[in-house]
Amino acid sequence: MSSLYIWPQMPFLSITVLVIASMIFLYLARTPMHLALESLSDGIAGGLERTAEWIKAVVIKMREKNKKVLLESSIAASEEKIAQEFKRVEASYTKHLAEYPALHLKLDESITAIDADFKECGQVVPEAPGWNDAVESIASIKGTASGDRVIEKMLKELHKSAVDGEKMALSEMQKVSTKRHKILSSLAPVWKKIQKTMVEVNKRVELVLETSGKIENYMQEYDKIRTGGDDSIDMLSSKATKLFIFSIIVITVASFGAFVNFQLIALPMSELVPAGTRVLGLHVSDISALVIVTLEIVLGIFLMEALAVTNIFPQIAGLTLGKRRILLYAAILGLFFLASVEAALAVLREHIAATNAATTQALAGDVATGTDSEGSNITVIGQATLGFVLPWILAMVAVPLEMLIESSQHVLSKLLILIILMIGYLVGIIGHILSTIMKTIIHIYDAYIIIPTQIENLLKRKSST
Amino acid sequence: MIKLKKSLSVSVLSLAVLPLVVLLTGCSDNKEYETAICALADISGTYAKEKKSMVNIIKAGIVPTLVPGDNLVLITIDSNSFNEENIKGKLKLDYRPSEANKQKIKFAKKLDDFAENSSRAKYTDISGAMMLCSGHLKSTQAGTQLMFIFSDMKEELKPGIRRSFNNDEFENIDIAAMNVIKLNEDSSDPQVFRSRIKKWKKRVLKHSAKSWNATLDPTEIANYIDDHR
Repeated sequence: MSSLYIWPQMPFLSITVLVIASMIFLYLARTPMHLALESLSDGIAGGLERTAEWIKAVVIKMREKNKKVLLESSIAASEEKIAQEFKRVEASYTKHLAEYPALHLKLDESITAIDADFKECGQVVPEAPGWNDAVESIASIKGTASGDRVIEKMLKELHKSAVDGEKMALSEMQKVSTKRHKILSSLAPVWKKIQKTMVEVNKRVELVLETSGKIENYMQEYDKIRTGGDDSIDMLSSKATKLFIFSIIVITVASFGAFVNFQLIALPMSELVPAGTRVLGLHVSDISALVIVTLEIVLGIFLMEALAVTNIFPQIAGLTLGKRRILLYAAILGLFFLASVEAALAVLREHIAATNAATTQALAGDVATGTDSEGSNITVIGQATLGFVLPWILAMVAVPLEMLIESSQHVLSKLLILIILMIGYLVGIIGHILSTIMKTIIHIYDAYIIIPTQIENLLKRKSST
Repeated sequence: MIKLKKSLSVSVLSLAVLPLVVLLTGCSDNKEYETAICALADISGTYAKEKKSMVNIIKAGIVPTLVPGDNLVLITIDSNSFNEENIKGKLKLDYRPSEANKQKIKFAKKLDDFAENSSRAKYTDISGAMMLCSGHLKSTQAGTQLMFIFSDMKEELKPGIRRSFNNDEFENIDIAAMNVIKLNEDSSDPQVFRSRIKKWKKRVLKHSAKSWNATLDPTEIANYIDDHR
């Protein structure tokens, strides 16, 4: 600083002269300096503002694209779901309504049987012979009241015959009645059969209707998606985010499961695959254990594909039912084989661990106490069970894996948009701050040359008056 | 959607192919991950009576920490230690854990036999044993090379024997002096003992040793090995 002094022995005077000189210079250079500062402000702040606008435009485009992708993928997923449901309906119709003709026939037979029985029940009971009319006719013959013995005898005979006839008719009627009751009582099981058949028919129809109802729901959802409104976009976006979070949680848990599985078989694998080479710092035996774990996951993917639970490989989805079944059996067989291998390895691991402990004890000079046989059996059984069960659990990872891959496309794109948007806002804010700083500099500049400016104003006012 | 499915199947296939590429390109030798240990046992003068405690420390402290692929060699410190005959036992563990355990037990028996032997040397050629050990450790090319010296660290060379280290004699080797007992003269003047240890430290570090430790407790030996792996 002292090097700038005009008179080093008089700093105050030097500074005063420097300030006045700079003030006069800056006053004279006021207009070009203002222009220069304004151009700089426009250049930097304007550039940043335009960058922010460009970023915003990019974000809008990305959002649109993301929306489009989300809609298209959701439409495709919905169509697939509906197509699958139609297949299910077809299967349901085939399965549940295939027996309908037989049921109908059964119902017809039952109704015919009832009809026949009913008709039989409806037969008129034989009436007693018409002796009454005959008696009345004889009674109206002249001379009956005079006590004609012939007529009296005749009447007595007739009375006897009528009584006998009535008795016979009554007995006949009782017989018929018993028969009718028998027929009616035999109708009960037929009614029950009909009722049962009707319940069965109802159940099957309900099942078919239930599947049809599902299609209706899917169709409504499909229509909603196709309209592509903000509501449906929000719904799809939240659905994808939810799926992403859930699948991340499940995959994380599954990763821990895979780690446990790996730890369970890594040590015994070193017994089976002893090697002096490493791959990326890992023992070949560790790699082998990893391969087994990943193979289990791969087989799980094929299993789920064959079961049509997931739909990662379109080629598998396009296979015929027979070929799918072969794939399913192959995957199950492979998993069973790997699970058995793991169970055996788990037993071997326990054996190695016990030997290691015994060796360490022996080296330390301790007398090997041996492990409690019961306790050791429980450990072995536990490890073997774990070794057998874990592959099957890992096989289920295919479902959240598919969910993760499908939803990650949207979620990651959303995240990228958010980051770009944040950068855009940041650039905008920096532009605004720089613009404000430049304006403040201009004001400070004006404040610095306030004395010459005020003198100029004073002179101007004087000259005008 | 079909495009997405196709890209999914492509990524799954790539994931399957990737390990194969890694296997073909990323294979490396196991040696850099292995540990080679050299135990120098002083059988001269007063230290010879420490044989049993030495063997116990090696058996309980060093041998159990060895993992498949590791090396252990026992070298005696006597009047002329720079001699192949001083190598009393070598152990290179098999990669199969069961075999490795058998080898450990067998080596422990060898150590017991060594402890039973009452041979005693007149002079103490520590430097010669260290040079022999250094040569052996270098030949293993192991990633971790450790040298444990069981001695009072008082060197007495036989007349006519000369020992000088190369500048890179102990390059990449961690050296620890174990079970350093104090001699009578050390007890009367601790500075004698301290300056002797200091001198060794200066000497080994000057000849490129990675580290020097003279205060290692036998119970901490396993941690020491694990820390240096």
